[in-house]
Amino acid sequence: MKKFVSLLLSLAMLISLVSFASGEAKEEMTLKVMLPDFYSDSDWVTLEEGNPVLQAIYEATGVKLDITWVPNSGYTEMTSLTLADKKNLPEVMVMQGPLDSITVSSARNGAFWDLTDLIPQYEYLAQGQQSTYDNTAIDGRIYGIYRARAYARAGIYYRNDYAAQAGIEKVPTNVEEFKALCFALASLDNMYAINMCKYVAGTIGITTVMFGAPYVYGVDENGKLYPAFESPYFQEGLDFLRELYSAGGIDPNFMTIESGNWDDAERANPPKALMRLDCLDNGFRYQEWLEQNMGADAENPIVTLLTALPNSEGNIQIWPQNTGASGEVVITTAVSEEKLPKVLKFLDWCNSAEGQTLLNCGLEGVTYWIHSDGYRYTYPEGEKDNTSYATYTNTVQHSLNQLGMNVNGDLTPETAQTILRSWYNNNLVENAKYVISNPCLTLYSETNVLMGSNLNTELEDAEVQYIAGKIDLNGLKAAYQDWYDAGGELMLQEYQEAYDATK
Amino acid sequence: MKRAERVAVYGKGREYWRRLGIDIVKNKWLYIMLVPGVLYFLVFKYLPMWGVIIAFEDYSPFSGPLNSAWKGLYWFQRFFATKKWVDYLSNTLILSVMSIVFTFPAPIILALMLNEIRNIHFKKISQTLLYVPHFISIVIVVSITYVIFGADGIIYKWTTAILGRSIDYLGDPGVFRWMIVGQNIWKETGWGTIIFLAALTNVDTQLYEAAMIDGANRGQRLWHITLPAIRSTVVLMLVLRMGSVLDTGYEHLILMSNALNRSVSQTLDVFVYQNGIVNGQYSYTTAVGLMKSLVSVIMVISANKVAHALGEEGLY
Repeated sequence: MKKFVSLLLSLAMLISLVSFASGEAKEEMTLKVMLPDFYSDSDWVTLEEGNPVLQAIYEATGVKLDITWVPNSGYTEMTSLTLADKKNLPEVMVMQGPLDSITVSSARNGAFWDLTDLIPQYEYLAQGQQSTYDNTAIDGRIYGIYRARAYARAGIYYRNDYAAQAGIEKVPTNVEEFKALCFALASLDNMYAINMCKYVAGTIGITTVMFGAPYVYGVDENGKLYPAFESPYFQEGLDFLRELYSAGGIDPNFMTIESGNWDDAERANPPKALMRLDCLDNGFRYQEWLEQNMGADAENPIVTLLTALPNSEGNIQIWPQNTGASGEVVITTAVSEEKLPKVLKFLDWCNSAEGQTLLNCGLEGVTYWIHSDGYRYTYPEGEKDNTSYATYTNTVQHSLNQLGMNVNGDLTPETAQTILRSWYNNNLVENAKYVISNPCLTLYSETNVLMGSNLNTELEDAEVQYIAGKIDLNGLKAAYQDWYDAGGELMLQEYQEAYDATK
Repeated sequence: MKRAERVAVYGKGREYWRRLGIDIVKNKWLYIMLVPGVLYFLVFKYLPMWGVIIAFEDYSPFSGPLNSAWKGLYWFQRFFATKKWVDYLSNTLILSVMSIVFTFPAPIILALMLNEIRNIHFKKISQTLLYVPHFISIVIVVSITYVIFGADGIIYKWTTAILGRSIDYLGDPGVFRWMIVGQNIWKETGWGTIIFLAALTNVDTQLYEAAMIDGANRGQRLWHITLPAIRSTVVLMLVLRMGSVLDTGYEHLILMSNALNRSVSQTLDVFVYQNGIVNGQYSYTTAVGLMKSLVSVIMVISANKVAHALGEEGLY
């Protein structure tokens, strides 16, 4: 009898233990998150209002997500305002520039948890690239989990049907042919060659780097740093854009086009601009859009993707759209020390196959469907793609993928490989070796934190004015000199010291 | 009131306080009614002013204003060391002077014109229509501007056809300030007439009748009766305007600015917004903002002095 009782007791203990353990795993917790929003014109269904995706996340982790959406165009301003109000910080937020002055000063002032020693303790987070983590480090400490993005995303895409109309059937194989193509496209009536908008860093960067210039800073043979604009290739790239502009190849009002309206010119019917220098995923998305809305043929894409063109000396360079990452996810000090491991555990889960799928694709049968070919689609099998599915998906999914870090690679269900998508995926790996980097990326300069963005804007303004023919070469040179005088010199000096110290 | 007169009425030193005490006891209900107003100004206007202390610190929201490191005049020195401050200040001043010269008289002229309208219904309808642009957000005004002045816009096409060369309304730094002034005139002139129309209703109509009998024509009546009658209102409005002369309205400028015209669109307000809000340099930009306020105070005081010299009441 005694034995039986003790057995019963130990059994009861075991049961309570088990239930305690599972209770801990699913412990309820509300998490306040701030994310950039790319669908701010669509409604948002909260967890309380019955959002099935958030409900699924809650069931899997016990975390109730309370999301503050901030339109992407104003995210930088909002981050800065949010971080100025210590009492109302979100618990987890995306920082778009890991080394922006606002991120650096907030991290130093203790706004974020130092994750350097914690990341290796989590299964998925530990699988991230150490070098990419290091790229986001501030004073040698890692404050965020980077959001992984492919390296060689930047390139050129253009409408080959209009290129043929302009007399060029051959896909350019070097920079000279690329230039010829641009001028041919510019000669078409009522159409611009390169689609540009207010965000000029991409177009200028992709052009000049392709022509052979370094990215932001270069290092000469003596180990001395110099700004990219000192490179003759950089000038060559700017000269080309200037020439194209004066030949009517660029919309004279491009500086008034917001980056949110960048697509408008190419998605007009007939298109107003035929080529874009940007992230190549936008290229295959453009083709897919043409298929759905303009009846384009999927077998013979009218969009051509182009990257890794050799310059006049045969060298290939690709502009780094990002440094293997696009911003980071940080945990603010609004999270208590006891809550920190739980939050990290949740972020770790976000990288699991289940987490990645929920954040990036949502729920099967609700926001995505696996068809009999085994691929993931945004609509049920047997139906045509239809905007009503996308409209619904946006209300429950919104920009949840912005929380996705995917440091351990993409684990979401695969999508069907269109011609352009498979071209893109193959080239992505192949071309990673051509991507150049900024030697000062991880170096620290006090002047850069204080006035780097102002200096950069002034430089960019001068380049735009040069392209638009508002200033001549002397004016451009004067602007470069201003840059040196206003703090560029000092910044370069600080970088040089930091650079030499790493040797 | 001269100081000697003040002393005669209120007394001096202890005597002053004694009389004030008697006055308070005598009119206690009036003073009690004053309390909420005084409290409002103390709590919402004077107390927050201590926030400017961050202009002298290396402020961090996580340490708070009391614990941030003291920097003294560092930020002021830094601002003057950038050399760019001359550009920011001159951009601000040029825009302000242009707005005083062109925007300020516009409602007065319009009010005088409205005042001459004899058909009361037409007058009421045109007044209402003139108020409408005031209620249109500046974002919309700028969007409309983009549409009609952009490369596909109707005005752009007209002027190109007439002049034979195109004017880059949205990018040319030379045109920028005129666009800003033009938008302000379009948006605010109608609304600005209200106060002048109110002043005009106070003009004794008998004066006009007498002048008419004496053979004064419309122009003479305007010059000798109407304008002197609203003179003090005009001066008062001008003095008030001087106080905000350096407020160029950053949202309007940010919306209209781009890489091509940034050399003239960067004013102190835009600088404060971009460095304070976007880049999070709170102390630096508070210092710049504080400096701007000091200049504004000086301008109000001197404008008021000028008003007194002209024999007007002024602000105080």
